[in-house]
Amino acid sequence: MFQTRKLAAGVQLHVHQTAQFKTINLSIRFKGKLTEQKAAARSVLANILQHSNAKYPSQMAFRIALDDLYGTSMYIDSAKRGNGHVMNLHAETVNDQYLSEQGVLDQVFAIMQAALLEPNLEQGLFKETIFNREKNNVKQRLESLIDDKTRYAQHRMLELALPGHPASIPSNGTIEEVENLTNQLVMDEYRSMLEENEVEIYIVGDVDPEEMAAKVQQYFPFEGREIPGKMPALVLTKPAQSHVLETAEMKQGKLHMAFYTPVTFRDAQFPVMQVMNGVLGGYAHSKLFTNIREKESMAYYVSSSYASHFGLMFVLAGIDQEMEQKAVKLVLEQLDSVKAGDISDTEMMQTKALLINSLKESLDSARGQIELDDQYTEMAGGLEPERLIENWQNVTKEDVSEAAKLLSLEMTYFLSGKEGSDDE
Amino acid sequence: MNKVEFAQVDETLYHERLENGLEVYLLQKKGFSKTYATFTTKYGSIDNHFVPHGETEAVKVPDGIAHFLEHKMFEKEEGDIFQEFSKQGASANAFTSFTRTAYLFSATGQIEENVGTLLDFVQNPYFTEKTVDKEKGIIAQEITMYDDQPDWRLYFGMIENLYEEHPVKIDIAGTVDSIQDITAEHLYTCYETFYHPSNMMLFVVGAVEPEEMMDFIRTNQASKQFDPPAPIERKYPQEMKRAAIKERTLEMAVQKPKVFVGVKPERLDFQGKEMLKHELSAQLAFELLFGRTSDFYYEAYENDWIDESYSFDYSIEEGFGYALFGTDTTVPEVFAEQVEKVFDRTIEKWSFGQDALDRVRRKRIGFFLRAMNSPEYIANQFTRYAFNDMNLFDVVPVLEEIKMADLQQAFSLVSAKEQRSVFTIVSPEKAEQ
Repeated sequence: MFQTRKLAAGVQLHVHQTAQFKTINLSIRFKGKLTEQKAAARSVLANILQHSNAKYPSQMAFRIALDDLYGTSMYIDSAKRGNGHVMNLHAETVNDQYLSEQGVLDQVFAIMQAALLEPNLEQGLFKETIFNREKNNVKQRLESLIDDKTRYAQHRMLELALPGHPASIPSNGTIEEVENLTNQLVMDEYRSMLEENEVEIYIVGDVDPEEMAAKVQQYFPFEGREIPGKMPALVLTKPAQSHVLETAEMKQGKLHMAFYTPVTFRDAQFPVMQVMNGVLGGYAHSKLFTNIREKESMAYYVSSSYASHFGLMFVLAGIDQEMEQKAVKLVLEQLDSVKAGDISDTEMMQTKALLINSLKESLDSARGQIELDDQYTEMAGGLEPERLIENWQNVTKEDVSEAAKLLSLEMTYFLSGKEGSDDE
Repeated sequence: MNKVEFAQVDETLYHERLENGLEVYLLQKKGFSKTYATFTTKYGSIDNHFVPHGETEAVKVPDGIAHFLEHKMFEKEEGDIFQEFSKQGASANAFTSFTRTAYLFSATGQIEENVGTLLDFVQNPYFTEKTVDKEKGIIAQEITMYDDQPDWRLYFGMIENLYEEHPVKIDIAGTVDSIQDITAEHLYTCYETFYHPSNMMLFVVGAVEPEEMMDFIRTNQASKQFDPPAPIERKYPQEMKRAAIKERTLEMAVQKPKVFVGVKPERLDFQGKEMLKHELSAQLAFELLFGRTSDFYYEAYENDWIDESYSFDYSIEEGFGYALFGTDTTVPEVFAEQVEKVFDRTIEKWSFGQDALDRVRRKRIGFFLRAMNSPEYIANQFTRYAFNDMNLFDVVPVLEEIKMADLQQAFSLVSAKEQRSVFTIVSPEKAEQ
């Protein structure tokens, strides 16, 4: 799908020339190490770079320039991948052919260049007022997490189960680390990102790969950098507590269970775990959905998900506050039935069909193509949809039940309303 | 089958109104492997007072029933319809809004089988007292989940502020109490009234061969018996022009207070191209006044009246609509006051030039073209527009013909002081101070 070329050591360009979309998507990805401090610094950095730059020194001037380019959308987001952190500058612009105007793409390159390489500086640091305000904005964003009870409960469970582990480090850092940031620390992270991070550049759209390579080298002349060796496998340590009950002011109870598995993204057993997760709770035909929602009417949502980079599987359910024990019992019963090999041909067929469908669907969006290709770079053979599909097809019920047996429940976390809080 | 080409966006739309009244639209997306289909009835949470099919007296049904019916469509005597879709590699879903109930799937294969399943399951109701009662626990959990979401409470709090009588003020899912009254008989009454093919639309977009697909749909529909189409009599109360409640505060645990300024449109009888032009014009006007390039945004950002959660929106349907301006903020009163100031100032003097209009117009055209990459956006928006006699593919031509006077005119209908309202959520501790 993508034509890849190396522009410098540690800097690669991937172009997918296609007429499938009416827009052109560009993504510049910086891959660094994940620590709480770096994640916090990169989060504030993303906000600063999105605010303004030397060429467009106010937020208004910057936004006007983007609006003038047919509302070109541009944003920076962060994601973690194992113990790595990916900062992604993404732009999407309309293909010239739908416009009366030409040369829009060149202007988009120029504006991305301004955003990334020409920051709004004063005395070698970011503008102090902007730094302070964006630091505060990120801090407030992290603080508001508690208003989203499902995300908050998941965050708390990970924080308690695996403190300091990449699995529990939020991709935007922690409140504490954001508070500790100085302008200099963010500047250091910015320099390190540009000079030391591995860079993957993606372009998807009706474009000429040769021309894109020339433009990228013109606008983003990144120099070579050292490519880090393969990151060591992450070790999951046992949580200090296996059962935690916390309260917040809310009505519904949020059940979050964490299971460990030795199988990660890099293992040959990876496709087996994907099927196993699908059979247990990944879909509306799954055991969890069918039994806990449809049969018992206990939940509106109940599902499992597999965090393959860490070797974690989660089960989440929103239930009545009194129902925790019953729900845990039912979840474990469903898992036991998978372990016992109590899996129908239909369940296997449905799960494989939906895994294949979701892969193919992802490939129908430019963003999905980029994400998948980038994720699979670290897997031998890269992104080959046909091979992934074949791998799933080869999974047997016995494989699934063996994979289920490798799971260990390490933490049960329940967030519920405060008792008698109405009287307070 | 009619074929309409939209050269500007390089899309071709196929359309046919079947004998039973069903409107079918097909759009082939070149290069896509995915197909997305929606089967939608023009029936939502606001349709709670109507004359049932074959009767003469209007009835009122319990709150939340359209959404309840949506849930129950998936259960059949032989089992859950999700199972069927999964077997055919499709992921299925449904949603209920104020005005629509949509059933949908997306799939990358077995498209005819999946379209067949979609049509068949929605056209074969199966409700019993037992299955209806069983669903109450599930929906109660869904309602409780939404009750815990401050942003949802903020949204409905504002709609309750704006509307005195109109059922748009009732939560789409109803309440834990109201759904207890729902019976299988209610569901059949609603189903028979609102699920006639002549009140529905099928939209299939993606990897479809138009001729073959239309043949398949025709045959599927011709094999079923339906009563002749009959007009549906829906009752909506008279709604006053001004906002029902000027200001209200809800106490709920939130990290930071949340505030909405809402404006109720003065005219709620727009339809067709006039509606499209009004909605787009008002959206452009608000973009100029409150968007990221506005003076208001600059000042609000510099003074910390807003944070990253700041957003604004305007949309109308037949009989209701609202403009919403909101943010999380430590100074909700200041934010509300400043938003109102922009309104007051703009009512007195409109101060934008042609270049500003051209810029927001370009931004909007860009947004539209980006959205054309999304089968979901096309199917859902096309249906929403069509139910209001608008055409999604008119968006760019209408945007191009909009003049400054249209923005001023649209703004004048969604701005008067008496049409505005403020709703705030603060933490209990904060409220006591």
